[in-house]
Amino acid sequence: MSEKVEELEAREEYEMTILDRVSDRIIDAFASFINIFKKDWRRRNQSKIKEWKLMAYAMNRSPPALLGLFIVIIYIILGIFGPYMAPWSYDFFPVNYNFSTQLAPPGSTYFLNVTTIENGYIVHYTTNIHYLLGSDVYGRDVVSILLAGARTAFVLDIFIILIGPTIGIILGLISGYYGGKVDETIMRITDMFLAFPGLILAIALSAVLPTRIQNFLNAHTWAQTLMLKLFALHARDVNNLGKLLAVFVALVIVWWPGYARVSRGSTLTEKENLYVEAARAVGLPTRTILFRHILPNIIGPILVMITMDFGGVILTEAGLSFLGLGAVPPIPDWGNLINQGSQYFPQAWWLVAFPGIVIVTVVLGWNLLGDGLRDVLDPRTRRSLEFKLKKKSKGGESSA
Amino acid sequence: MEPVLKVEGLRKYFPVKSLLRTIGWVKAVDGVSFEIYPGETFGLVGESGCGKTTTGRTILRLIEPTEGKIVFNGKDVTQLKGREMLWFRRHAQIMFQDPYSSLDPRQTVFNIIMEPVKFHGIEVDDPEEFVIRLLESVGLNEMHLYRYPHEFSGGQRQRIALAKVLALQPDFVVLDEPTSALDVSVQANILNTLKDLQKKHGFSYLFISHDLGVVKYMSHRMGVMYLGKLVEVGPAERIFDNPLHPYTQMLLSAIPIPDPELARKKKRMEVKGEPPSPINPPSGCRFHPRCPFAKAGLCDKEEPPLVEVEKDHYVACWLYGKA
Amino acid sequence: MPEPIIEIKNLRVYFYTYAGVVKAIEDVSFNIYRGETLALVGETGCGKSVTSRALTQLIESPGRIVSGQVLYHRDDGSTVDLLKLNDEEIREIRGNEIAYIFQDPHSSLDPLYTVGYQIGEAMEVHGKVKNIKEGIGRAVNILREVLIPDPENRVRNYPHELSGGMKQRVVIGIGIANNPRLLIADEPTTALDVTVQAQILELINELKRKYNATVLLITHNLGVVAETAQRVVVMYAGKVAEIGSIDQIFHNPLHPYTVALLRAVPNPLKKIEKLESIPGTVPNLITPPKGCRFHPRCPFAEERCRKEVPELKEIEPGHWVACHRY
Repeated sequence: MSEKVEELEAREEYEMTILDRVSDRIIDAFASFINIFKKDWRRRNQSKIKEWKLMAYAMNRSPPALLGLFIVIIYIILGIFGPYMAPWSYDFFPVNYNFSTQLAPPGSTYFLNVTTIENGYIVHYTTNIHYLLGSDVYGRDVVSILLAGARTAFVLDIFIILIGPTIGIILGLISGYYGGKVDETIMRITDMFLAFPGLILAIALSAVLPTRIQNFLNAHTWAQTLMLKLFALHARDVNNLGKLLAVFVALVIVWWPGYARVSRGSTLTEKENLYVEAARAVGLPTRTILFRHILPNIIGPILVMITMDFGGVILTEAGLSFLGLGAVPPIPDWGNLINQGSQYFPQAWWLVAFPGIVIVTVVLGWNLLGDGLRDVLDPRTRRSLEFKLKKKSKGGESSA
Repeated sequence: MEPVLKVEGLRKYFPVKSLLRTIGWVKAVDGVSFEIYPGETFGLVGESGCGKTTTGRTILRLIEPTEGKIVFNGKDVTQLKGREMLWFRRHAQIMFQDPYSSLDPRQTVFNIIMEPVKFHGIEVDDPEEFVIRLLESVGLNEMHLYRYPHEFSGGQRQRIALAKVLALQPDFVVLDEPTSALDVSVQANILNTLKDLQKKHGFSYLFISHDLGVVKYMSHRMGVMYLGKLVEVGPAERIFDNPLHPYTQMLLSAIPIPDPELARKKKRMEVKGEPPSPINPPSGCRFHPRCPFAKAGLCDKEEPPLVEVEKDHYVACWLYGKA
Repeated sequence: MPEPIIEIKNLRVYFYTYAGVVKAIEDVSFNIYRGETLALVGETGCGKSVTSRALTQLIESPGRIVSGQVLYHRDDGSTVDLLKLNDEEIREIRGNEIAYIFQDPHSSLDPLYTVGYQIGEAMEVHGKVKNIKEGIGRAVNILREVLIPDPENRVRNYPHELSGGMKQRVVIGIGIANNPRLLIADEPTTALDVTVQAQILELINELKRKYNATVLLITHNLGVVAETAQRVVVMYAGKVAEIGSIDQIFHNPLHPYTVALLRAVPNPLKKIEKLESIPGTVPNLITPPKGCRFHPRCPFAEERCRKEVPELKEIEPGHWVACHRY
């Protein structure tokens, strides 16, 4: 009978803002969407949905996290559609038609007398090019390069984060769960990788790898097509892919050991919990125990780390391009733009300033989001918020 | 009657390591033998570090035994592999002490209970109905179906753990201090539920506890463990009325009795020393350094065997057997 | 007529948490008489530990002592209200005239110092010895008092070199180092094995007799109460439910909660057919039940229990109960 009382108390009401209603709608819509495919999903996961909503409320009450989320959403949109939004193609070199377009300052406009080959015919036309944020050494519009470069950064970012941490987490889980010799082996290899400063290892790898990758690409057309599609590049840039992908491979290799360390540590503490032993007592295979029981319980802090690393990857990748490794022109890349600009600094300040601002903003966005997620995913902070939100009329006196 | 479980000469030694070298062994369980019959509760009592928990886990092969035989329904568990091991996993279950860590916090009650059922391929017509029925049998209801463990109190969590055990319809359950993390009023509730379920389904329990009162309430027969060995085995009533081993006598005189009159009348025995480390247990009878009746030259030299002193009542003490 | 050493009057302690105000202790009053062992019994969260800590203002934020008096009658006849003293004054009393023994011996000793140093320090702080060195010398005698074998060598041991029982003896040693008038033992044996528990309880009794001290024993174990205390205060959900001598409480319990509690504990010396359990759960102290706090779980609850808070009434000499049935 007192259980009934508890039930009543559990149905709390919260003070809602517009943002809360919006996030509620989104979550409800998502739940309905899954419900179409899985019968009864919504009812069975009502606790989970409620938790998601609470997470959203927590997020809605943290302006920095919202700002981060906003920046990240813009980044993702530009990462997908950027190349198509760019006014000029990344491999259109105005400098060929009008030499004074080289390093044009922001706000200037130039007249171009263009001659190109289209479908086998020589075409002549004239056009104006307006440089809102200036141009680079090839006379390319910085706005266009920034937009197209968003795709490069985004694709590298997503795939490095998809692959690196996954490898790390799997190795960490195995290492932490089995312990003993397996653990020793995996962790010593991890240590070897960690012993090198990440950037230096990445530099070494990006210097060694390009030719091999290029050879592989030349031998496999499907890989070529795939990569060109992914990075939204034109077919004639195939030969420049080697260097770009070298950075990708180098960063994946540099990125997993941290995750192996962290997830091993969490696994070690998590496996001491009796539910792991209970799962063994039921006879569940190790695979199930690792991925269905341990992983969801250690994923919180790792998710925060992943979010922060989305920014980290952009920064490192830009750093490598700045050093002249990785993307080479004409492949659009933020770091590369700064690399060009560094030679003409401070005259062509815009080549450093604008890509710099973009990189800083995106990295900041990911970090703000990561920080916000840390609070949202921590049940303690979320619970405190849950109580703060409770309608005053309900609980009688609220906290002082 | 055939025992459900027969343990013979069970030993579990843990290595003590120093700089990758094994420098000694913790003899957590050192030659333990007993049987458990269908529908019976066998209590295992002892102080911390006596090996009672290790015994429970070794029997279920959650820890591999160093030596000994564990015969479950006629099959030697230590030799089981593959399908047969799964059969064993289904029919022998465990319920843990700490209700706060024994349920996966990321799973709903429904998933927690259904996962083993699905895994063992037990046919259920309507899973939801099935789980609700189980929850009701342990005093919870359908409102709790899709909740997460953190939404429950300690006692309720133990009930969920119990429902999970029930779902597999086991023959035998190891209860590892199932109530020691709970308050007395909740404890009484869980103990009664356990008893009722035993009556209804005919389970056999191995009930591990350090609380003698609880063990007496629950057990038909019991064993007293000291430093990895059983020192006394017999019907629970008999052991409480007439403890034979000096250690059992010491334990009984040491437990506080919740009745001032009985407490004043209780015959007291001086409690000497503390349990020694199981790394280098005393030679001969392991209890001899604390035993008021220890005979030099015998108790410190030779280990007493477990002998039947009266019907079904076994003691390992030189007071009751000849060398 | 026994004279009180401590009179607790209308003590209220609230915890101001994010979840709301936890009314941990509400209107608690009882006396501790000179030379007795008084047991404070109750389940987790009933406020027994908080009460004992509030005596010397050992309540940490977000907790606050909201109101009440704790009158301490010194041996010389003077009386002070412990809750009115400032930090400096209360520190002089705490650990000196009123000493604590906490539950977990493993965490209440500092692993970086020898046990002798820690006992010596306790004496030095209260000016019982001139310096730590002298204190360590005196510590040998104290270790002998608490029946630690070979005290001359043990005094130089670090806590990790001692077993659980030995550590608890050292903790008791620190507690009695300054010859306190009131010893507050908060679950002193919960972390220990039964045989060791018996030894520690025996030791506390022994020391109490020897120094003519008063002991406030906080425990959830009714067996420990029956064996060591003379009087009992039963607490439920932050309020006193019943006060009486052990014989009154164990043989003639009046409050339905006490009755239920006693029936829920298996007695190893008696034949028990069926344990009785208390339905429901301990209430949430942010929004405690109106009226008698036990009414949602009480088999005798009537309309009045839901509305009026029962007063503590003396039913027979020394036997007080807060229940509308009496």
